[in-house]
Amino acid sequence: MNRFDYVRPSSVSEAVAAGAEPGSAFLAAGTNLLDLMKGGIARPTRLVDVGRIPGLDAIETLPDGGVRIGALVRNADLAYHQEFARRFPMVAEALLSGASAQLRNAATTGGNLLQRTRCPYFYDTASACNKREPGAGCDALAGENRQHAVLGWSEACIATNPSDFAVPLAALDAVVEIEGRGGRREVPLTDFHRLPGDTPQIETVLAPGELIVAVRLSADAAAFAGHARYLKVRERTSYAFAVVSAAAALRIADGRIEAARLALGGVALKPWRAREAEAALAGASPGFESFQEAAALALAEARPSGDNAYKIELARRVIARALTLAAAGTPERLPALPGSPFASGGSLHD
Amino acid sequence: MTRTLTLIVNGEPRTLQAAPFASLADTLREGLHLTGTKVGCDAGDCGACTVLLDGEQVCACLVPTAQAEGRAITTIEGAGPAGLVDRLRESFLAHGAAQCGICTPGMIMAAADVLARDPRAGRAEIEDGLGGVLCRCTGYVKIVEAVLDVARGANAFAAKADAGAAVGARLARVDGRPKVEGTDHFGADHQPEGALWLRLIRSPHASARFALGDLAPVLARHPGLARILTARDIPGENAFGIFPTIKDQPVLADGLVRMRGDPVAALVGTRAAVEGFPDADLPITWEVLPALHGAAAALAEGAPALHRAVPDNVLTRGRLERGDVAEGHAAGAATASVAFETAFVEHAYIEPEAGYARRVGDRIEVTACTQAPVMDQEEVARVLGVPMHAVRIVPTACGGGFGGKLDVSIQPILAVAAWVTGQPVRIVYSRIESMASTTKRHPASIRARMSADGDGRFTAFEMEGDFNTGAYASWGPTVANRVPVHAPGPYRVPHVRNRTRAVYTNDTPAGAFRGFGVPQATLAAETLIDDLAEGLGLDRWTIRRRNALDHGDTTASGQVLHASAGLPQCLDALRDDFLRAQADAEAFNRTSGRVKRGAGIACMWYGCGNTSMSNPSTMRIALRPDGTLTFFNGAVDIGQGSTTVLLQIAADALGLAPDAFESVVGDTDLTPDAGKTSASRQTFVSGNAARLAGEDLRRAILSLANAGPDARLRLEGACLHVENGPASRVIDLTTLSPDETGAVLSGEGRYDPPTTALDANGQGVPYATYGFAAQAAEVEVDTVLGTVRVTRIVAAHDVGRAVNPTLVEGQIHGGIAQGLGLALMEEFIPGRTENLHDYLIPTVGDMPEIVVHLIEDPEPEGPFGAKGVGEPALVATAPAILSAIRHATGARLTRVPVLPHRLHAALHAREAAE
Ligand SMILES: Cc1cc2nc3c(=O)[nH]c(=O)nc-3n(C[C@H](O)[C@H](O)[C@H](O)COP(=O)(O)OP(=O)(O)OC[C@H]3O[C@@H](n4cnc5c(N)ncnc54)[C@H](O)[C@@H]3O)c2cc1C
Ligand code: SF4
Ligand code: FES
Ligand code: FES
Repeated sequence: MNRFDYVRPSSVSEAVAAGAEPGSAFLAAGTNLLDLMKGGIARPTRLVDVGRIPGLDAIETLPDGGVRIGALVRNADLAYHQEFARRFPMVAEALLSGASAQLRNAATTGGNLLQRTRCPYFYDTASACNKREPGAGCDALAGENRQHAVLGWSEACIATNPSDFAVPLAALDAVVEIEGRGGRREVPLTDFHRLPGDTPQIETVLAPGELIVAVRLSADAAAFAGHARYLKVRERTSYAFAVVSAAAALRIADGRIEAARLALGGVALKPWRAREAEAALAGASPGFESFQEAAALALAEARPSGDNAYKIELARRVIARALTLAAAGTPERLPALPGSPFASGGSLHD
Repeated sequence: MTRTLTLIVNGEPRTLQAAPFASLADTLREGLHLTGTKVGCDAGDCGACTVLLDGEQVCACLVPTAQAEGRAITTIEGAGPAGLVDRLRESFLAHGAAQCGICTPGMIMAAADVLARDPRAGRAEIEDGLGGVLCRCTGYVKIVEAVLDVARGANAFAAKADAGAAVGARLARVDGRPKVEGTDHFGADHQPEGALWLRLIRSPHASARFALGDLAPVLARHPGLARILTARDIPGENAFGIFPTIKDQPVLADGLVRMRGDPVAALVGTRAAVEGFPDADLPITWEVLPALHGAAAALAEGAPALHRAVPDNVLTRGRLERGDVAEGHAAGAATASVAFETAFVEHAYIEPEAGYARRVGDRIEVTACTQAPVMDQEEVARVLGVPMHAVRIVPTACGGGFGGKLDVSIQPILAVAAWVTGQPVRIVYSRIESMASTTKRHPASIRARMSADGDGRFTAFEMEGDFNTGAYASWGPTVANRVPVHAPGPYRVPHVRNRTRAVYTNDTPAGAFRGFGVPQATLAAETLIDDLAEGLGLDRWTIRRRNALDHGDTTASGQVLHASAGLPQCLDALRDDFLRAQADAEAFNRTSGRVKRGAGIACMWYGCGNTSMSNPSTMRIALRPDGTLTFFNGAVDIGQGSTTVLLQIAADALGLAPDAFESVVGDTDLTPDAGKTSASRQTFVSGNAARLAGEDLRRAILSLANAGPDARLRLEGACLHVENGPASRVIDLTTLSPDETGAVLSGEGRYDPPTTALDANGQGVPYATYGFAAQAAEVEVDTVLGTVRVTRIVAAHDVGRAVNPTLVEGQIHGGIAQGLGLALMEEFIPGRTENLHDYLIPTVGDMPEIVVHLIEDPEPEGPFGAKGVGEPALVATAPAILSAIRHATGARLTRVPVLPHRLHAALHAREAAE
């Protein structure tokens, strides 16, 4: 680990000022940043520990019926917040399908959205990686890449975004509240992460020093609570990153889909919102055919970036399955294995 | 940069200097010497470092120390809320929930979190709460049971055994208490004052020549460095290896690297200096050479030789031939063939290699985790160029091994560093380094063919297997020799021809891993048996039962099994279960949609001890004038429980209760050579030595007392009561004159299993005895998504005699977990899965319900009838799971692990074929 300075600002404005200095990085719980520093992948010269800034750890219901989640709200506290989980069950399910209890007890809302890719070549400093070292090349292209992206990738980078939390947030049109030296601004979550293009090292729209202060979900998002599921295919049961995941939410009235929300995880460098699929679902009757069509539309642009063509077919199946689950109705209690294909099998109430 | 921080640890404020961003785990361990909090990965993947922060479980390895300031930190050393931690400790002990114990502190803290929030938590809540802590030993079964018991309010009591009643008792591990209290010392927990640290710089290339530049200026630039060691600094021979004739692995590479992760230089200095040294500061020029990955590349025409002595890259050829396979196939009514592929598998013990060395005058002492202290002693002596008696190996508690600590790793270089600097030197491998540089299970490519007659009786089996042994020999020859004997499985097969090759490549070395190649071969053979059953219209249970080796049968190597061949009983024990599961699955599948169920079955056998080689063990028991009774046991306990089991055997042979003894375990200065903890040999081989030692001492006592063979012994202080009816007498030990070791009475036992050499056709008696097992698996397959869940495993194991049933069950549970990993998720790819989130091992949520049947077909040659179970536990699981997936879906899988993408492809291919 390299040597550096450590500061602990006590307000957002102090943090923003400190974070703007070159070489600075915000430290929330550190479950991702500390790991990257140990491996020499992140080398900040100054850590700005925002973990104790007061006022950033609240879950507030807004006058219009939406919710505002402070950037320091822990993943576990959010998932187990009864009111929140009742209104945004798909978000709670996604959170609980991710990481382990230990990590969810520490990890924060802001940190989760900003966790870096798990591409193994990004982690291995002996490999070439454009994200870590712009211009160095990308060893994943000719390497072990069955877990890599099938949507939105470029020759410069084929990595995926590992966050589960971000997937339902993207589906539900969450808004990220950002504070910088110039004041506060808001960015829809779907515009927050960037696709790699030629600059995979630039991962989000945050400018240096800009701090996430909260994430907001609107009352409109809560209207999907009755038919909303997160489904995550992974290679083992307790904590593993998604191979492919989907957040699917429907508003159903009189046997017809009024509106649909759909996003995918594990397929691109950002949570992938499938708007064409949503449009096709609107007005359709829920069922095998409409779900298959939606799945096909969502993956229409997909292409393998290596040894991962199977992910395209898998993503279609995950979408169809997630929509089927959503149409069946959100279970009253979260299943014992959140997001698991097996948990969502038979009865959802056991 | 450090600053003064105050932490509240277990209720007490502690002020110390620490870097604010240093991990809490490191600060607790190195700053406060609270080493109960373990570090298995330093990356959030294993949960060994779990502590409570304001009552909630977190990974201390990812908590920046400054963030813990002012918050309540509870570690395993703390008493915990309302005696909860204490109750968990007792329950873990009584249930045998701690094997090696490296995960135990983390498990107990995670359980304390669950039960503090929900004192009546049920199985689902407990599994959820423990989901973030990995255990490689127990299969989680006894851990969950232990926690459930506390939730139910049950009080745990560990059984005690009276004199003569130890064998067969469910005694708690005699080394268990420190494990549940967090006071056991593993390799990284030894923190000698003033120690220097050692770190290896490793090759990023799989094949390259290199030259090092001038190191003096580098040393000058890094004042904290004491030395940069290179190949030239090795005082003795710069080579090690398992076999006396194959010392092919350098301690530090000398101008040539043969694998990614080969060490090229060793930094010795302060911790800050060795950890802060950027590898790019080492002046090194590389000439990268083409690398041979996979056995096929190394066997290709014109492939360069990795080692000059082996021009064709074939390290060893193994062979067995019996009868005439062509004739056997011709006699068959059905023949099946298969090409099977397996991957590198990582041991993934939760404790990465760690320890320290110090020079004591002209001697060197290496204190480190190991499975083979005497081998370490030999290797260190050769590398230092000193006689064996100048080397002392002190094994630490070993946080899992499974074969991975059967090669030296840190020992030689630690010894060199301590030797040349004269100071104590520590090393702790990082998880990545451990995974990148130490041995793996051999990837195998097996082609096999098997025939059976119309009644399903096997007529012929043949196989050819190539095993990728990586850059260095390690245990490659053992694998190549063990597989031909075992490959046909535990069945009567009159005509057999097996050939194996261990092949050098530029991959990570493959060595010993629970089963030495037998699990790979069993996957191929059991697939063929399912094929034959299908082809002949026979039930999968029946075909196995009809061919199962029984008393009096002859094996493929021509050995007659005179006794202890309990496979028929194993199969009978799970028959009803299997047939019911099979019928249930078929009924379910008739109406089910995407989820299909299946039942599968597989058998295994495994020879205990080394293949046709002498592998003796010696044990000693001594009684001192003050009545101290000491068991000198050189067998290292890697969690499997030999410290307890061997004591149970010794105690009953002597006739005193186990708690009358103290044990000295595996210190080469104090204990005689018990051989390696490998090949499922300690219960059988060292168990016999322990029995003989106990009998020897008993004989000495009885003859001194002039008592008959049925006399009962009682030890009270310095008085040894020999009770023999009217002829009873008391020996006052203080009146006897001690020998040079201070003992007044002692017993020694040596045992070497009777085997014979194998002839050119692999015929002979390679092992004195075999363990047998049959396992049935039930699975649920999501055929749309390609995911598999194992729901139940019934395991019937013939162990001869269960010396400690709790420990035997623990071995079986743990073996099943590893077998499940082999079948479904574990695939090590050099340079790509060198951590525990890219390399997945089963978590508590992956474990099925397990039912164990212990079959005891006594082995007359074994101590109290016992034989080994350590490796047998794993072998049948993966083939049983594959058999079940095939039953569920019709997909015949010939490559493990069956990851979702592979199952997806197999199901696709099946759909296309239909
Ligand atoms: C073993 C393991 C398994 C995991 N499994 C999963 C999984 O299955 N699914 C999943 O979704 N995640 C998983 N994670 C990732 C985990 O969710 C993240 O590590 C965590 O959410 C990061 O949160 P943090 O508060 O610790 O962030 P930190 O590590 O503190 O910060 C992460 C990044 O965000 C920046 N940052 C933090 N807060 C702010 C802010 N308010 N404004 C601006 N920048 C900020 C930091 O500078 C840093 O770059 C896993 C992690 C581990 C270690
Ligand atoms: S895929 Fe992206 S993150 Fe991975 S090596 Fe290539 S550039 Fe780096
Ligand atoms: S050491 Fe912290 S999770 Fe493994
Ligand atoms: S007892 Fe759990 S890892 Fe060994």
